[in-house]
Amino acid sequence: MAQSDAVSILPESVSIEGGGRRKGFLTHAVRFARKRKLGAFGVLVVLFVLAIAIVSPLIQRYDDNRQFQSRNPNFQTSTSSGGASILEQLQQGKSEKEIAEFNIDRFEAPSGRHWLGTDQFGRDIYARVIVGARLAVLIGVGASAIAVVAGLFIGVISGYFGGAVDLLVQRFVDGLQAFPALVLLLLIVQVMEEPPLWLTIAGLGFLGWATSVRIVRSAVLSIAQQPYIEAAKSFGASSLRIMMQHIVPNVVAPLIIVFSISIGVYILAEASLSFLGFGPADKTTWGKMVNAGRNAVDLHPWEALFSGLAITVTVLGFNLAGDAIRDELDPRLRGR
Amino acid sequence: MGRYILRRLMLNVVVLWIVASLVFLAVRGLPGDFVLNQVATNLELGSNEEAIRVAKKQLGLDKPLWRQYATFMGELVRGDLGTSYQTRRSTWTELGERIPYTLELGGLIVLIAFSISIPIGIISAVRQDTAIDYLLRGFAILAVATPVFFVAVLMTLVVLKYRLFTIDIVNAPHFWTDPKSAFFKYLIPAVAGGIAGGAGIMRLLRSQMLEVLRMDYIRTAQAKGLRERSVIYRHALKNAMIPVLTVMGITISGIVGGQVILENMFAIRGVGNFLLSRLVARDFPPFQGTVVLIAIVIVTVNLLVDVLYAWLDPRIRYS
Repeated sequence: MAQSDAVSILPESVSIEGGGRRKGFLTHAVRFARKRKLGAFGVLVVLFVLAIAIVSPLIQRYDDNRQFQSRNPNFQTSTSSGGASILEQLQQGKSEKEIAEFNIDRFEAPSGRHWLGTDQFGRDIYARVIVGARLAVLIGVGASAIAVVAGLFIGVISGYFGGAVDLLVQRFVDGLQAFPALVLLLLIVQVMEEPPLWLTIAGLGFLGWATSVRIVRSAVLSIAQQPYIEAAKSFGASSLRIMMQHIVPNVVAPLIIVFSISIGVYILAEASLSFLGFGPADKTTWGKMVNAGRNAVDLHPWEALFSGLAITVTVLGFNLAGDAIRDELDPRLRGR
Repeated sequence: MGRYILRRLMLNVVVLWIVASLVFLAVRGLPGDFVLNQVATNLELGSNEEAIRVAKKQLGLDKPLWRQYATFMGELVRGDLGTSYQTRRSTWTELGERIPYTLELGGLIVLIAFSISIPIGIISAVRQDTAIDYLLRGFAILAVATPVFFVAVLMTLVVLKYRLFTIDIVNAPHFWTDPKSAFFKYLIPAVAGGIAGGAGIMRLLRSQMLEVLRMDYIRTAQAKGLRERSVIYRHALKNAMIPVLTVMGITISGIVGGQVILENMFAIRGVGNFLLSRLVARDFPPFQGTVVLIAIVIVTVNLLVDVLYAWLDPRIRYS
């Protein structure tokens, strides 16, 4: 409808094929995939994980906290066992498993019922890995977004005004960067007895904020020297207008890069936090699963194996996609 | 150069003051304190109001915040890192027992990280786009994405499954007292940490080498008939290493900060484990003191890296 109208009023000379400058999204995507095979692979992995995160309630099959148990076929009620009490049966040398009416299906190997097996509490590992995907994406993207947006605001103000504000911000950032990162993170999430998800995300964002402030500030310092800023000032433009209209658009590209290459780092950091037992309370995260599964890893490797693989594949996807975006937007930042 | 170093040193004092103040405020913002923790775990103290008051008074926790802050700063200036609430021993004494463990593990990690990443980075760049380059790059990309604890878990799985050796989490051997058991104790965490630490260096060194190898002076060196070896090591590597130094500095700082995760996993009584346990116990003085000490090491390593930059690349001038 509206779209076809818009196309029909375009003169022939600037049609999509003829112009050469305005290519369709698909053309771009194909060119990108040909040039950056690893990057394209990363994008595919990211899309896959995102899809899982979005539709996780539909595909997780079971509740992630449901404990599976099965009825004991040899169970005998006290009347059928000749009136022997539980204590007497135990004394007869029967194991708890033989006596109980229900047994928890713990440490099951992958099967048709439990695709990735069950954990020590009889919970379905597949369901838990799927639920973990949503949390990992939420944490990675959320923390990265907070870091970039906070870095943009404070970096622009610090770089544009300079002076005392700049000095204060820079020394504070120096201080944060001299902290051992994981310790700082532990301090932030411990502020609440049971850290909720948002606190974990905010803590990670706060940690990354220091890095993006640096990048924004140095970009602002070089932009502020440009003649067009001088010109805007001479026309009487306000500081706010100069910052919003002339400076912010110019630091967006480096920030997109920082945003996309650091998502993987945040997912890894949260996994470490969860692994140590300081992750978001009451949430099923991959880091917690690796930690729970490592105790008897030689006997029951499934939980640690699948959750660890989930972390690795997800971080790999985000890293490869981020690297490709960086190379595309600004190859000079390679390796920073 | 001398003036630059002096200025940086003075700046570092300010940075350390900020770190000390931040950690002081942060720990006091946490829920619970040492005495309440003791009440919760130690029935002897009970919930006796009087006993709690006395205990707080003994530890100086009843004083106003600014007095505690002044005491903390005064001690720091004199080089005193505080006294543990729990053991009543000075932080220096406590750290004296733990630093060797962290240095043993950390030294191994740095050694493994550097000795796998530098050759891999060079080979990968020199043999660009060959099968070996793809293989090594694949390894590096995978290593960056894998959490260090997962590498350690996988190694543990293999070692236990095939009964290669027993993993000792009870004893705490040193290399100089019991080299054999120390070797097996540190093997998995050192390799896992080394892979994680080396991954970033590999990738950066490769891209830096590729950039340098394209330079005119490399072509000149090749044209005048220098041996390939000499071109790569004397001319290319030296220049490619400059940005890599920063990352190496970060790796070293991270190790001094204590490999919290690896030390915790393998029950190594190092600085990282100490920090974690002091934080959980709300034993503020040793926690604060250790964080400040780590910060001192981090800013010093950063300064050394910057000075080394100027030494390696005379074009860099600091003012």
